[in-house]
This record gives sequence, structure tokens and C-alpha cells, in this order.
Amino acid sequence: MQRPRFVVPGRPVADHRPGTAHSYKRIMWGAEMLKLEKLTRRFGDNIAVNAANLEIPDGQMVGIIGKSGAGKSTLLRLLNRLIDPSDGQILFGDADIAALKGNDLRKWRSDCAMIFQQFNLVGRLDVVTNVLTGRLHDLPTWRAMAQIFTPRERAFAIQALDRLGMAHTATQRAETLSGGQQQRVAIARALAQEPRILLADEPIASLDPMNAKIVMDALRDINRNDGITVICNLHTLDTARQYCDRIIGMLDGRIVFDGTPDLLTTDMAREIYGADAGDFNEAATSTALSATKPARAVRVSA
Amino acid sequence: MADTNMAGGGVSAPRDAVALYETHRAALRASKRVWNILALAAFAVCLGLSVWISQFYPERLASGVPRIFEYFGTIIPDLEWSNLFAGRTEEGRAVPGSLTYWYTDFWTYAALIWETILMAITATLIGAAVAFVLSFPAASNLAPNSWVYILSRRFLELCRGIPEILLALVFVFMIGIGPLAGVIAIAIHTAGALGKLFSEVNENASARPIDGITAVGGTWMQKMVYAVVPQVAPNFFSYAMLRFEINVRASSIIGFVGAGGIGQELNRVISFYSDDRVLAVLILVVMTVTVIDLISERIRIGYIGRENFS
Amino acid sequence: MSIAALSGVTDADIAAARQSQPDAFTTPAGMVRKWTPLAIAVVYVFASMWYFDFARLLDASDRVLSLLYNFVVWRDMDTWAYRQIYVGISQTLAMAFLGTFLGTLGALGVGFLAARNVMPFAAVRQIVRRILDVLRGIDQLVWGLVFVRAVGLGPLAGVLAIFVSDLGTLSKLYAEAIENIDRKQVEGVRSTGAGPIAVIRYGFLPQVLPVFISQSLYFLESNTRSATILGIVGAGGIGMIIIERFRASLYDQVAFVVLNVLVLIFAIDWLSKRIRLWLIGAKHDG
Repeated sequence: MQRPRFVVPGRPVADHRPGTAHSYKRIMWGAEMLKLEKLTRRFGDNIAVNAANLEIPDGQMVGIIGKSGAGKSTLLRLLNRLIDPSDGQILFGDADIAALKGNDLRKWRSDCAMIFQQFNLVGRLDVVTNVLTGRLHDLPTWRAMAQIFTPRERAFAIQALDRLGMAHTATQRAETLSGGQQQRVAIARALAQEPRILLADEPIASLDPMNAKIVMDALRDINRNDGITVICNLHTLDTARQYCDRIIGMLDGRIVFDGTPDLLTTDMAREIYGADAGDFNEAATSTALSATKPARAVRVSA
Repeated sequence: MADTNMAGGGVSAPRDAVALYETHRAALRASKRVWNILALAAFAVCLGLSVWISQFYPERLASGVPRIFEYFGTIIPDLEWSNLFAGRTEEGRAVPGSLTYWYTDFWTYAALIWETILMAITATLIGAAVAFVLSFPAASNLAPNSWVYILSRRFLELCRGIPEILLALVFVFMIGIGPLAGVIAIAIHTAGALGKLFSEVNENASARPIDGITAVGGTWMQKMVYAVVPQVAPNFFSYAMLRFEINVRASSIIGFVGAGGIGQELNRVISFYSDDRVLAVLILVVMTVTVIDLISERIRIGYIGRENFS
Repeated sequence: MSIAALSGVTDADIAAARQSQPDAFTTPAGMVRKWTPLAIAVVYVFASMWYFDFARLLDASDRVLSLLYNFVVWRDMDTWAYRQIYVGISQTLAMAFLGTFLGTLGALGVGFLAARNVMPFAAVRQIVRRILDVLRGIDQLVWGLVFVRAVGLGPLAGVLAIFVSDLGTLSKLYAEAIENIDRKQVEGVRSTGAGPIAVIRYGFLPQVLPVFISQSLYFLESNTRSATILGIVGAGGIGMIIIERFRASLYDQVAFVVLNVLVLIFAIDWLSKRIRLWLIGAKHDG
């Protein structure tokens, strides 16, 4: 499979963290592996992510499951560096992502696209401009400030929209679209970033089953055809089983399960979703169309 | 009274609760009455002191009020219906009793009102531009660091703290009589007043689009331009238009200290003449302010309607 | 579609995208429309800077420096006639207080005359409203100047100026508050057979009084500010002292007085906030 082209900036990055033997590291964007080492994030006394160790090779589609408050969102936000880790390391190749600053940090964010539960589009901008914001990291300052994009960039954005079946809305305001449409636009924005990794934080939690399926199919398509690593937080177990190569279960900030979907037994799932789910069954965690009673589909921790 | 009731009834027997409630109520009413009397006394003292300090005595008022009516009598123009629309005579003289006579200096006034409006527009634009730039660092949710936040806040407070007319007085001294001093004084005050309003609007902006632009690797400036400005622009616009209306008023009086506009003429006619010229200028000023308010309201509603903003 | 990359976008792709979504691309007309307002504003500002002769600012630098120097360096502080300053400040306060008080009293009457649900005669209401518009339309400082001409220099003119402009604004606000009240309570009082005065006393006042008081307190705050500058036209208060000493080139004293005024304004704002909280709090548990 052909890999997308990536820039190798090779810019030395200061590493001021104590305990590191050498003060400069070379970022290796050609790395093949995202590696978390004892990654920890505390909010006051609460440990949202507790010493997470993970290795995610390029091109995997990973689903993270767990109850609300299990630390799934925090983990994803740590990867994108929307929040800073309290402890531990995020390694991409040899590069210590947790230590990135300024321009290098922004470059990492642009390589590590993120989509959100609430889409986080700019409602009052039109759809194509929203998608074009995915190009901001590559733009000279004056063009970014004046919102001037080249025809090539615009065509690229429209291609990305077209791939999600949203090209016809290009000139509408983002806030006029339905939730499912907005999430597709958000995925197009992520694609416009030409990312290496795509993080999805509860991408379907605010959507109806029909749109959830469209969005999840799109994520799988991006993973399969573009070779982009997809790491996806999911409330629902059956969606994770259906779409992901690998499932990670989180409970109270810890990673309690890591394996292929067929290794995830009902007992294991019950543990991840909490002991109170005595009458636990997978359909109860479903939002997918294939569930037996879609009308009564409930999210287990909603 | 619900809380007193509960405090009594929670622990004791019902009859005690009623008694307790009654005593509480009586105590509360008594303490309230004491406070009310004290407040009333304080108010009366303030009133008495104010009357004494400003010498607002009945006899002064009695001698002053007739003079007020006398004065208003002198500034009413002597219009004669038969000559009302009479033009100038062959020698170029206006006929007494005609509108032309009353508004002999109309074109002087018109030029000064034009200058007043220009002053207001320029001051609003410059002030709004400064307020726009500073409103992002002065918003607690957007400031890149606390130093920039505190500095920009303090600067805006300083700008709006000093009354425009005092600033104008200082600028007239620095750069001389003329509209420039007024423009600068109003622009400074506008920057302070709008900067505060703009930064409050920014603080109410949704964080989600900002997170979105952060996640694509946007710089601080890019976050402001792409995620914040589209959200706040309609509010900024209507606040700036409202400020423009206020500034038209301000620039019509800032001439009192020599800082240009119709105020200079208004000051002159009121201070040196007691005749119909006073009313002539006053009517023009009130009309200008009213018309500008109407236009500005139309623009504001038109823009907001177009932006589907409610 | 296979792997997406910006570098993989061919000219044919651009043409195809342009054909399918022509409005998503910039056109010269679109650029003009986007940039024209900003361009007009910038051109206007520069033109007006030329018109108002902003270049004079550059020549003024030595005066600016000397003025700033004189503002900051305070000399001969024992000769500053402090008594006069603090009499001026108390005069300012007295003017603001008395003007607001009289304005409130007047507005209590006039507000009812201008309210649609109290004043049955539309003609009276309209005449009252137009007069209020005129009172409001003329700036307080202009009123100050007019009253100085009518009753002479001093705080009396200032009190009258504050009274007249407050009467215009407060009456309008009061009338609006009266028009927004709950009709049922009024009808309740009227159903007991009360006369018009009793209806106003027991039906209207309890509802509108809190609004009236808090609005008058806001006006007390803003009038303290404006009373400081009324003296500039001779209508009494600290403004007269500011302008006298400014004209006499006593800039250090001006700076001192202005600092005092800022402290005073801050104190009044704080006090009025406390009173408002106390009154409205009292209204709620009473």
C-alpha cells in the first residue's frame, strides 16, 4: 500500500524535561509506531489517565471503549496535545510528542487530526472554509489571516467533501447542516490536513443510527484506503467490534483490555462497563442499525 | 420567612415552632424597621447636606426660575407668518421674521454639523479598531498569557476612565484648538468603552470552534480569525454602531472646550448671545442626533437581519 | 477515490471541482465584495487623518512631554488650597444627589403620565413623550450651559441641568416599567373599589418601585461622573476647579484633582452597588 507523503521537518526540538540525558532530539516523522509510556494525566486529585502503556502501529483502526469518565476523551486529547500530560511519554518514532512546543506542536497537531463529538466546526463560516482550515498549518501567515486559499487548495477541499458526499453543501454555512452532515464535514476537514493519524472522540455519540453508520463507514474507508491510523473512542461495544481491528478497554483511567475484538468476552465487557450491568447484553450498548430493536437502542453510560 | 419557619420547626414540637416563628418574625421585623429608619435618616441627612452645599434654597430658586422662563422667552425666534418664507431682498438682506433671517448662518452651522459627523465617524473607526485588536488579549478565555491579559485590561480601563471632555481639554492644550483634539479624545474613550464590551462578547464565544482550530494546528492568531471572529462579528458591529450614535452626541458638545464640531458654535451662541440663534443651533443639533440614530438603527437591523442573527 | 494528497490534485481536478462547485472558488467579483468595506474604511480613515491634520501630533511632542512631566511632578503642595478642592468635590456629589433626587421625584409623576396603561388620553401621552424626547435629545452639558446663562455660575445651574436631563430619561424608563407590569394585581386592587390614587399606590407602586429605585441608583452613578464635567461650562462642582487650574497652568494640581475624582467615582459605584444589593435583597425576603 502506498503511504501518503509526509514532510520531514528535521527541526531540532529543545527538551527541557528533567531526567533526559540529551537535550535535543530529532523528530522522526517517518516513524512507524505511536507509543505511550506510563502516560498519566491528573485533574486535581482525580487521575483521568493512569500510567497508560500502549503501542499502536501505523495503519491500525483502534477502538477505545469504556464508561463515561473512564478517561477515553482525556487519552485522545493527550495524544493531540489539546491537554498536556502530567507524567509519562508519548513517542512517535524517536520524537517525544509530550515535549513538543510552538511550531513543532502545531505541526504534530496537523499530522494528528481530531474529530469531536460536537463536531467543533465554525458554525458561521461556510463549509468549504471550514474544510480549508485543515490547511492552516501550511499557509503563509498573510494568506491565513486574509483567508486566501489557492484554487488547488479549494479543489482539494471539495474533493475531501465529495468523498464524504458533502460537496453539494460547500457554500452553505456549517451551522445550517444537520449533526450527521456536520460530522462528515469535520471528517473532510481532517482529511484536508493530510494527517498521519486520525483521532475521533465519540464521533457518533450525538448522531442517529443512520448517520452513525455513514460516519463509521467513512472512518473505516479512510483507514483501509489511505492507511491512516484511526483511534476512535466509542460508547458502544458492537460498533467497536464491527469496525475496529483492535479494541482497548478503559476503566477508571487504566487500560484493562487490549486485544482483537474476538478476544473481548462478555465477562470482560461487563467488567469494562461496570459491575452494575448485571443484565448486560451487547445490544443494549448499540446504536447501530443492525441492532435488534434500533428504536430502543440505549447507550450504556448515557 | 420560609427559612425561619424551617429552622424552628425542624427540631422542636409543633407548638414551640409556632411560638419560635412568631418571635423570629417579630425580631426580624424589628431589626428591619431599625434598618429602614436608619436608611431613611441617612437619606435625609444626605438630602439636607446636598441642599446646603449646592445652596439649593427656595429663595434662590424663586429668583432663578423666573429668569429661566425669561431666558427661554428670549431665545424663541420672532417669526411672522406673512414673511415666513420670504427670501432675501435685492440688497441681499433677509426680511426680519422670516426663516432666512432666523437661519442667517445656516451654511456655517451645516458645515460644522458635517464636521461633527466626520469627527464621530473617524473617532468610532479608530477607537473600534484599537478595541478590536485589544479585545482578544483582554478576554480571559482567549488571552495567550496573564501578562498580556492584565496589561490590555488596565489599558482599556484607563482609556474609558477619564471623561472625553477632560481628555479633549488636555489635547486642545497639546495640539491646539480644532477638531483633531476632539477626534483623538473621543477615539481614546471609544477604544476603552468598546474594548470592554468586545472583550465581554469574546468571553461568551463558544470554545468548541476554538478547540477545532487548535486541533488542526492553528496558531493563536488563526484561532482568533477563524474561530472567534466569525462568532462575535455581528455583536461587534452592533456595539460599534451604538457607540457611533453616542459619539455623534459627544462630538456635538466636545467643542465646548475648543475641540471642534458644532459644539464650538453652540458654546459661542449660548455664552455671548441670548437670542434666537441659540434655538437655531439647538434645533439643528437635536435633529442631527435624531436622524443619525434613525439611520444607524436601520443599518443595524438591516445587517443583523442579513446575518440571521437574533 | 484513493489516497488524498494536495500534491496529487491535478489541473483537471481543479477544473472539475470548479465546474461542480463554482461558488466555492473565489472570483474577482467576490474578492471585490469581500474587501471593499475594509478598503473603504481604511481609505476613509487615512483621508480623514489628512483632513483633521493628524500630522500636528508630531509637532506637539515637546508640549506632550512637558505636560506629562508637569502632571507627574507635584510642586509646592502646601499651597494647593485643598479646602477649595474638597468643597468642589462635595459640591459635585451634592449636585449629583440632588439632581437625581429631583429627577426621580419628577419622573414619578411624569412617568405615569407617559404610560399607556395609566394615561387614558393619547394626546396628553404623546405631548408628554415628545417633550421628554426634547429633554433627552439635548445633552446634559448643553443644559448646563443654558442654565448657567439663565441662573448664573454655580451649582444651582448644575442641579437644574442634571434634573432636566434625568427627567427626560428616567420618565421614559419609568413609563416603560409601568407599561410592563402585571395587570392582574392592578385589577385585584381595582376590584376592591379603590380610587385611582389608591390603585396606583397599591396596584402599581409595589411592582415598579424596585425597578425605579435601582434605575435611579444607576443614574446617581452616572450623574456623579457627569457632574464632574458640568463645571467645565461653569455649572459648579469640581469641574470648575479643574478648568480654572488647568487654565492657570497648574497641571500638577489638575492631576491631583482628577485622581481624587476617579477615587470618588469608584467609591460611589461601589456604594451604589451595595445599596442596590441591600434593597433588592430586602425586597426579596420581605
